[in-house]
Amino acid sequence: MSTTPAFDSSTVRFPISGANYIPLPDEKKDGHVRAHAVQTVNADAMTLYNLWRNETVLPIWMEGVVSVTRTGDTTSHWVMQAPGTDKQFEFDGEVTEDIPGKKISSFVTNGPTEGTTNTVTFEPHPFGRGTIVTLLIDYVVPGGLLGNAAAAIASRSPEQIAIENVRHLKELAESGEIPRVTSQPAGPRGVIGKWKEFILGETNPTPPGTSEAEQPEDLPRKNTLGGTR
Amino acid sequence: MKAVCWMGTGKVEVHNVDDPKILNPQDAIIKITRTAICGSDLHLYNGYIPSMESGDILGHEFMGIVEEVGSEVKKLKRGDRVVIPFTIACGNCFFCKKSLWSCCDNTNPNAHIAEVAYGYTGSALFGFSHIYGGYAGGQAQYARVPFADVGPIKIENDLPDEKVLFLSDIFPTGYQAAVNANIEPGDTVAVWGAGPVGLFTIASAYMLGAGKVIAIDRFPERLALAREYCGATTIDYSDGKSVVEALRDLSYGGGPDSCIDAVGMEAHGTDVAATYDKVKQALMMETDRPTVLRQAIQAVRKGGSISIPGVYGGTLDKVNFGAAFAKGVIMKMGQTHMHSYLQPLLERVEQGQIDPSFLISHRIGIEDVPDMYKVWRDKEDNVTKIVIDPWVDTTAA
Repeated sequence: MSTTPAFDSSTVRFPISGANYIPLPDEKKDGHVRAHAVQTVNADAMTLYNLWRNETVLPIWMEGVVSVTRTGDTTSHWVMQAPGTDKQFEFDGEVTEDIPGKKISSFVTNGPTEGTTNTVTFEPHPFGRGTIVTLLIDYVVPGGLLGNAAAAIASRSPEQIAIENVRHLKELAESGEIPRVTSQPAGPRGVIGKWKEFILGETNPTPPGTSEAEQPEDLPRKNTLGGTR
Repeated sequence: MKAVCWMGTGKVEVHNVDDPKILNPQDAIIKITRTAICGSDLHLYNGYIPSMESGDILGHEFMGIVEEVGSEVKKLKRGDRVVIPFTIACGNCFFCKKSLWSCCDNTNPNAHIAEVAYGYTGSALFGFSHIYGGYAGGQAQYARVPFADVGPIKIENDLPDEKVLFLSDIFPTGYQAAVNANIEPGDTVAVWGAGPVGLFTIASAYMLGAGKVIAIDRFPERLALAREYCGATTIDYSDGKSVVEALRDLSYGGGPDSCIDAVGMEAHGTDVAATYDKVKQALMMETDRPTVLRQAIQAVRKGGSISIPGVYGGTLDKVNFGAAFAKGVIMKMGQTHMHSYLQPLLERVEQGQIDPSFLISHRIGIEDVPDMYKVWRDKEDNVTKIVIDPWVDTTAA
């Protein structure tokens, strides 16, 4: 077990007006990677909260999530795909704080990423531009920082996963789909083209969003957005 | 289907590729009836825009007939005739709601690449490198168009394709360039580059009330179009005379009220600075050659406006920013907010205020495209605009 003290999101100050800027967590230490992502989303807080809290639809928009099944009121079992590989791994998650429409905190209780915590908050934008979504993640990276470096070469560092997850949520909520170009036609890519695809991070699968072409059969794709659009 | 593919710097080939499919519920598939080669395609051809991958289908000026629509497309149906704007916008984000369509947040699947280079991503574009989304382009027989209810404009008149095709990019881009130049009635406007965008900029500047428009180029056929079709006064800079001096004379001493850079990152020039840029760019010490921008800053009148529709990609060297500051210059630039201009400009075409087909010099089939990229780059054969019918067979003759 790591000796780093458990990450306590309640001590983090979210971006507020009229105060000196205090950076959100963004560091790599002792096998932990602390990352954050912030976006203003043109949607109401409850819609976004529901998209995040309903774990079973997470594979639609959250990168690397193969499936999530609920095992209790606050517990769930996750099957994940490691970034840039075919390797799958599993863990159990527990929601530790749940304030509808405002905040969800969760904790990974076992598996290779045991100890990882996640906090997402939904706050109304002070000047009516929608909802501010702030995600704080304290990853326990399998293989420690070496694993983090390997994941970064595959174009998805833990920091980038946090950014992409909030981005995909925003895209789905605002535009009704997640933009994609995978499986569109192209001429022969050749070795250099394939190498560039990898380097630019395009080999990471885009979550299906509302796509009918790429949706796994057993996901509840209809009404994912709760009829908000 | 047949498609024009970028296969490396200076290398364009026609390949048989898979037909595009509906990938998202708001997609449409368009059977392309006319498409064109844009001046900005040369930035890709010449390798100045990073993140191109071999096999990428080029082309962002196209129109056609709707072949198939996704389950969430409400306004378009099979058989509709449409022109496709080259920027892709979702219609529902902060930027789309403010009509800043080319800044749309939600259409670039490769936003992370643009964020590294530019801080934030703009909207995705068709056929214009992976930093701009990596969407397959329209120099092909079919194309997939995302957000089909937001972008494409239906053509419900019987105007031929050639008169409406340029609503896809160059006419709105020229028009926005004129809008961004803050033109007031009677103003003198200088336009660098009398290529397709420059010519539409000249025409648009007059539509917005300019008193005198001055076009700067080095190709006689372009300068002739600028004079004869668009009514511009022309400066041929190829003899090495000072453009800034010429503009001072032509604006009766005070400098043009507005200067428009319709050239961008691959500018040519005859002065020392232009040679400096050419060498530095060739040595990959500089990404863009800001020759025109320097001249525009130097030439513009005090408190005047500089509008930049020409594409820049990276960092600029030795830009006379002090002159811009000293004169209190206003600058506006960027990709075109296409969706705002489609309807009003279609109406101008329908009313006969302009016939956008005036600049077409070459009409070709898709198999001719690789050769024509070279002609277009080297400005051979008096080329001013190349239009492609992707279905005509020109190989038999």
